[in-house]
Amino acid sequence: VTRQPRLPYPARWLLRWSPVTRDARPGVETDLLELFAARRRERGAIHAHRRLYHDLASLWLLRGTVPRPSRDRAVRGLLRDARDDVRFALRLFARRPAILLLTILGLSVGLGIATAAFSIMNVAVLRGEGLVDPDRVPGVLRATARSRTTAWSYEEFLRLREGSTRMQIEAVLTDTAAARIGARDEAAPTVALGFVSGGFFPVTGGRVTRGRPLEPADEPQPGPPAAVVSFVFWSSVLNRDPAVIGRTIRIGRADATIVGVAERGFSLPANRQVWMPLTAYGAVYGSGGRRTPAMGLQVFGRLRPDASLAEAEAQLGGVAAALPGDGTAPESALRVELDPHAGLGRTSAADTIAIAVFVFAVIGLVLLLACANAATVLVSAAITREREMGVRAALGASRARIVRQLITESLALGTIAAAIGLVFASWALPLIGTAVEAPAGADLAPDLMVYVFLGLVTLISGVAAGLAPARHGWGVDLVTPLKGEGARRAQLAPRRLRSLLVATQAAVSVLLIILATLFVRATFRAAAIDVGFDTAALYLVSPGLGDTFNDAAAASRTTSFWARAIPEVQAIPGIAGVALVELPPFSGITRASLTRNAPADAVIYFNRTDAAYVETLGLRILSGRTFTSAEVAANAPVVLVSESLARAYWRGQSPLGLLLPAEIPIPEIPARIIETRPVIVGVVEDAITVRLDERSRFAVYQPLPAASAGAAELLIRIAPGATGALQQAAQRLRAIDPGAEVRIASIAARVRQEAGRPRMVAALTGVVGLVAVVMCVIGLYGLTAAAVNQREREMGVRAAMGAAPGDLLGLLMWDSLRPVGFGLAIGAGAALLAGRVMAAAMLFGVSPQDPAAFAGAALILIASAILAVLVPTRRAAAVDAASVLKRA
Amino acid sequence: VKGEHLGEFEEFTLLAVRALGDNTYAVPIQEYVETMTGRPISIGSIYAALARLEEKGFLRSTMSEAVARRGGKSKRVYAVTPGGLRTARDLHRVRERIWNAIGEAGRP
Repeated sequence: VTRQPRLPYPARWLLRWSPVTRDARPGVETDLLELFAARRRERGAIHAHRRLYHDLASLWLLRGTVPRPSRDRAVRGLLRDARDDVRFALRLFARRPAILLLTILGLSVGLGIATAAFSIMNVAVLRGEGLVDPDRVPGVLRATARSRTTAWSYEEFLRLREGSTRMQIEAVLTDTAAARIGARDEAAPTVALGFVSGGFFPVTGGRVTRGRPLEPADEPQPGPPAAVVSFVFWSSVLNRDPAVIGRTIRIGRADATIVGVAERGFSLPANRQVWMPLTAYGAVYGSGGRRTPAMGLQVFGRLRPDASLAEAEAQLGGVAAALPGDGTAPESALRVELDPHAGLGRTSAADTIAIAVFVFAVIGLVLLLACANAATVLVSAAITREREMGVRAALGASRARIVRQLITESLALGTIAAAIGLVFASWALPLIGTAVEAPAGADLAPDLMVYVFLGLVTLISGVAAGLAPARHGWGVDLVTPLKGEGARRAQLAPRRLRSLLVATQAAVSVLLIILATLFVRATFRAAAIDVGFDTAALYLVSPGLGDTFNDAAAASRTTSFWARAIPEVQAIPGIAGVALVELPPFSGITRASLTRNAPADAVIYFNRTDAAYVETLGLRILSGRTFTSAEVAANAPVVLVSESLARAYWRGQSPLGLLLPAEIPIPEIPARIIETRPVIVGVVEDAITVRLDERSRFAVYQPLPAASAGAAELLIRIAPGATGALQQAAQRLRAIDPGAEVRIASIAARVRQEAGRPRMVAALTGVVGLVAVVMCVIGLYGLTAAAVNQREREMGVRAAMGAAPGDLLGLLMWDSLRPVGFGLAIGAGAALLAGRVMAAAMLFGVSPQDPAAFAGAALILIASAILAVLVPTRRAAAVDAASVLKRA
Repeated sequence: VKGEHLGEFEEFTLLAVRALGDNTYAVPIQEYVETMTGRPISIGSIYAALARLEEKGFLRSTMSEAVARRGGKSKRVYAVTPGGLRTARDLHRVRERIWNAIGEAGRP
């Protein structure tokens, strides 16, 4: 049996969408197939395909050739007019495909960026996190004479909850843990956890789409804890598993049972992915003694319907006054303040407005550029289409009809651009999300708001871009162009409008190129930063032992774990060095103190390490010595300081044996006052360990006793050429504690990731900047060509009066390039301002006023502008005066 | 707008149907017009011209028997009506008269 030959699939699909009626379709298809087969036989496949699609297109262009009499003239007439408008628009696009394609590209990039920016702001600012009626949900602040904080201890929270009748008090503690979904050995993602009290969901108004929310009954529950997962977690990590309720996932050290999936849009507080009861805290972090966290709870509540803020505050104040003091501030009693602006999921209004203003400035700028470009192309099209408009007016088209057609054209442009822009936005969104460090729990997928925004912006920009030439079309004399060449007036296009459009485009292009250049330079700068030690063979192994605050049992377990683990890992062949460290390099967490007095305002970074850290990291000890094991074990008051710190505070003299000066406060968690100042025993080389762009090289190293090293990580240096040592180390750790969540991270990879941050921004602004320049050049070329064409007669007269071609060229070039120069100045000024606002963090020491970036951007723009202007002006300057004047 | 008159392309199409003998269909017509005019002709324009000619009464069409070569599908076949033939001849005659008036030298 031979298969029936058929048309290629796209052709059949197009045919189905063509205006050919259903019953005529099989006949047309066989006709097309017959032609296709014959052409392929005779002229080859490429020719046959080209003709096939040409034939298919012809089915559209000839629709309506057999008009049927319309019954309802008013409505149908309008519809047909609109259809005709679209058809004219398509015909226009077909006639000038290259320029219009690029305009669509420009508009779509503009709309895409605007959409992406709006999506981010929608997530960050507008959408909120799902808290219902936030004004009735104030945060409960813990105030003493010295401090005001949202953090309470668990016992205090219980007392507040019992004692409050005017509002329902709840608490939440945020943390992260590794979540294991499937097999043992796959990489475990870190999830944002919210440990919540029983009434959290009802009080916040959080609802679930599947299963049930957490309830007060979950709090005392023994056995595997219950968990509610966020919509984003369910859809991205659990792949929308329909059987998610009842599924068990391992979070930290606990096997949690999923009881519900939160509604889309609920992620309180701060983009949580999983919620568990407060009582599951001990199980997740393996602190065997306690089930709940000791401190750090964020307490909030919902006012009862009849209660006022003041009443509730007074009542809670009474409860707090009876609480025992915590020893840090014996001189003052506890007070309670209710602050509606410190509730859950509230960023301060000032932040919100600043972000919104910035984002809308970016959106406005990009859209301005896109509109200016579309308007430029349409204006230049309008100049050359004057004759067409004249013919139409002569045939009886009203001016409103002509204007409507111009707007339809730009709307058609805008609609196509919006579709492409949406695709562009969905490509750029994850990139932008990473660039702005959006948390994993954030839901970046566009929602209804985003589509409404895109639709509105398309409409507005389409009409705006169309209105400029439409206004131009309105005012123009529609009859004169019909009379032919000689009857033309000297100046038809509004020159001020044209200059404004060109200047706008030039300004935005220059701004974007400068920013892109800055970021590109920053990328190279970041890659070249010397952190002060060799990162290649350094790895981190973290066993995830958990917090040991106020928990003696956990502390002793941690001590014995490290007591076994360190010697065993050291014994593995291929491992050159092993050290315990509290805050490993580039972990994103710092402990720092800020000194305001002499010798300078400075950030001083603190870290706790064991004796082997300095050597394992690869830093030299410049003078003195490192800790002894005994000092580490006893948590002795000794410190190492970095070279820069020693130089700044002791100016060339040796700090060895001296006390760490009181101007450098030691940050402690939880905060307490350190009575004894530690002694400096060594000076160590400077190193960058916090962020690549950190300028402060001031560091103080304190001893890290194993007992408090629950959250510490093991820094391992692999000997050259050794393989498999890391896996062995991980196995050893798991053998010592089967519950350990062993994770391995490469320091070099972390540094690369740090250095890659500006690259993404560079790519984004670079692409947009290039598009901006191309758009600017197209617009400039089109406008200049049209304007020069108009001034042909003037040039002829000038040439006849004795002007040399060089003079004419100079005149035309000067007239066309002046707005570019103007735009250049504005753009450069804006870039200077933007550079000030821009976080220096993104630039890695590249000055925002970098002369190379500014000069480069100006050069690119001027060179391309000259090219764009030169082609049409040269043609016009070489005018033959006699022939032009004869034609007149 | 064109009423009972023939446009240039319609004339080609009408003559092609005549030349190919009656009971011909869109594909040979397209190929014939393309060969004779020497410019690429899209099938859509042929359909449109055929539809217009039929509406003006210069052509009539019927559905043919199923043909094995076309995968067993039937097709719409066209034939020139006497009225169509007459109009085409009139047109030709008018042209001839004008050309004769112009004469060999290209001037009257």
